Amino acid sequence: MSIVRRASGSARRGLRSRLTIGAVALALVGGLAATAATQTTAATAHKASVVHLTWWTMWSGASLGPVDELVKQFNKTHPGIQVTETNIPSVATTSTAKLLSSIAAGDPPDAFTEWWPEIGSFAADGDLDSFNKYLTGPLAGFKKYLYPVAVQGGSYKGQLYAAPMSLNSWALYYNKTLLAQYGITSPPTTLAELYADQAKMWITSNGQVSQIGFYPDVNENGFQFYTTFFGDTNCIKNGKYDYANASACPGGIKEMDFINSYANYSYSQVQALQTAEGQVAGGAGDIFSNGKAGFVLSGPWEGQQEVPATDTSLEGNFGVEPFPGIPSTIGQGNFVIIPKGSKHPAQAAEFIAWLSGYKNAAFAAKIDTAGGWIPGGPSVTKQPVYKAWISSNPWLKGFIPQMTDKGTVAPELTPNQSQLFTAENTATANVLQGLQTPLAALQYIDQQGNS
Amino acid sequence: MRKGPNRPRIQRRTRNGLLFVSPWLIGFLAFFAYPFFATIYYSFTNFNGVQSPKWVGFANYTALFHDPLFGTSLFNTLFYTVFELPLSTAAALGLALLLNQNVRGRGIYRTIFYIPSIVPLVASCLIFVWIFNPATGIVNDLLNDVHIQGPGWFFSIAWSKPSLILLGLWGVGQPMVIYLAGLQSIPAQLYEVAALDGAGAWHRFRHITIPMLSPVILFNVILQLVACFSYFTQAQVIEGGDIGGPGTSTWFYVQYLYEQAFQFLKLGYSSAMAFFLFVISAIVMVLLFRSSSRWVYYASEG
Repeated sequence: MSIVRRASGSARRGLRSRLTIGAVALALVGGLAATAATQTTAATAHKASVVHLTWWTMWSGASLGPVDELVKQFNKTHPGIQVTETNIPSVATTSTAKLLSSIAAGDPPDAFTEWWPEIGSFAADGDLDSFNKYLTGPLAGFKKYLYPVAVQGGSYKGQLYAAPMSLNSWALYYNKTLLAQYGITSPPTTLAELYADQAKMWITSNGQVSQIGFYPDVNENGFQFYTTFFGDTNCIKNGKYDYANASACPGGIKEMDFINSYANYSYSQVQALQTAEGQVAGGAGDIFSNGKAGFVLSGPWEGQQEVPATDTSLEGNFGVEPFPGIPSTIGQGNFVIIPKGSKHPAQAAEFIAWLSGYKNAAFAAKIDTAGGWIPGGPSVTKQPVYKAWISSNPWLKGFIPQMTDKGTVAPELTPNQSQLFTAENTATANVLQGLQTPLAALQYIDQQGNS
Repeated sequence: MRKGPNRPRIQRRTRNGLLFVSPWLIGFLAFFAYPFFATIYYSFTNFNGVQSPKWVGFANYTALFHDPLFGTSLFNTLFYTVFELPLSTAAALGLALLLNQNVRGRGIYRTIFYIPSIVPLVASCLIFVWIFNPATGIVNDLLNDVHIQGPGWFFSIAWSKPSLILLGLWGVGQPMVIYLAGLQSIPAQLYEVAALDGAGAWHRFRHITIPMLSPVILFNVILQLVACFSYFTQAQVIEGGDIGGPGTSTWFYVQYLYEQAFQFLKLGYSSAMAFFLFVISAIVMVLLFRSSSRWVYYASEG
């Protein structure tokens, strides 16, 4: 009996201890489940509060690195806004078609980096959201932060429709090796000197051009890129183009005469050389960075990205001087817009301001130096990183002061801006091929711009 | 007493029939009928795809005839069609005749001549840009070797369209295969009888091959015409950075339409262009079909 009792007593104790363990386990599981549920709820709530922005750009190649870094940094410093960048083809018709189709379909990106001078057309058609209503609170000082030319280049009828992630500044690059080879002791300072110097550098054999001096539309630098140097940006008044009116716009005919002075060179041969030496050939860079041109009109990215990617022997063997003419540069760049129908326009505005370097000068300085870009606002250029970059690359010195030159202006945004862009390229090519006189080409530009 | 039609059964069969063809019907309505009638409607409006369309009557059609680039693009397209169509027809037919000969290894030859037509179009275009590059291309190098200064090809106003026509000939493998199939369906007895009657090679070709092949020729010509009228990809890829260039020598109709629609967002204007192209194509097709009764021979009609 006692054995039985003992046994029963021990069984009871065993049962009790098992119950105790079970209760503790249940409590633990319950506690864990409750904690997990709380965490899941918190995570879901956090996920729900995160705004996802889509950003379309057209960059490729070496530029992608700095752009990726920008996105990573923004996402790290803005946990409530997460940006996804998508690269689309950098062909004008394709990129515009993609953007406009997405707007029409009601599913556009939240931000779009526009390369082509089409912002006026988009704004006039009601395809864009204006920044003005978001320029309050933390963004109140954004407009003042930007270069005046940046505000001008993004404004249409008093509304800011675009802000530059970075700006372009254009100057005359020259190949020091070629200059020395042809006995040219200093870079040209006038258009006549430029013509005379570059004329020595052309190499043609059996009708085939294998090296050029200077040619106006290399890298698709059409009429629009030279306007400030001839002071004819004032030939657009209240959306009307008047380039062919010599009395109201003397710079127009001067500029087209300058382009016409290169019509004696074979257009087809230069285009062929560009195709053979440029990105179409599967390589990087362009005709200048491949060492096949004495001079080219280009921006800081030429020296920062193209030359190192194409021909390292050219590093340190090129120089940059202001383009002959009125001290200036054309105020355009990588403008970012908020397409109409963006799901998060306020957050997109915040992101775009950050991209411009607004309240983000130190990081913007780091990225702009990597990409070879002029920032949207002058405060970035005062950052130690930016200053160090300029001082270690003396060829960069001229680009920043040009941004505030009196002659520096942005082309006025007009509803027919995109037609004008195409017309200016066509007119440039026509003059260079002797298909149109300079005056007829200007009339064509006016007619297309005002149609 | 005659039994009346079994209405519920007929209705059920009709419903089932419609259900089975519904994928095609939906596709037809969504991807052909609606876009077609929408294009006609939009062609009478000012429409940018984002704002509501505004009725403008015939303004878009009137504007077409005052637009110099419209005329240029139409001319370029017709120029290309007039030269490309007969040349590619002759080349495809000629190759098919050669490859129909009973020679050793003809399967290999057929494969070799067909391969270019399965090379992706963009790749073919880029290869042609390379080969015909006037500065570095192999064609001008070879011409130089025999003391001929090669032209500017795709980079020259005078040569850009002929160069595109040459590129078009590169892809004749597709019609060639159709001609080859047509040639093989011609009864051999016809040639034997003609030979017995003393008909030479030319007469056999003229009086047997061509008539017997005429339905295939008509079919290929229609396909080629459609391709010529809607010519786009090659010119767009080759002239990449200078679309329509040099000058406006390679501005083709559909490229201009595409630019107006998707770069300038003039969807009303581009719809008018599209409908105008449809009318031109329809007229040409009607003329072609009408003329076919005089030159196309169908064996089944005797």
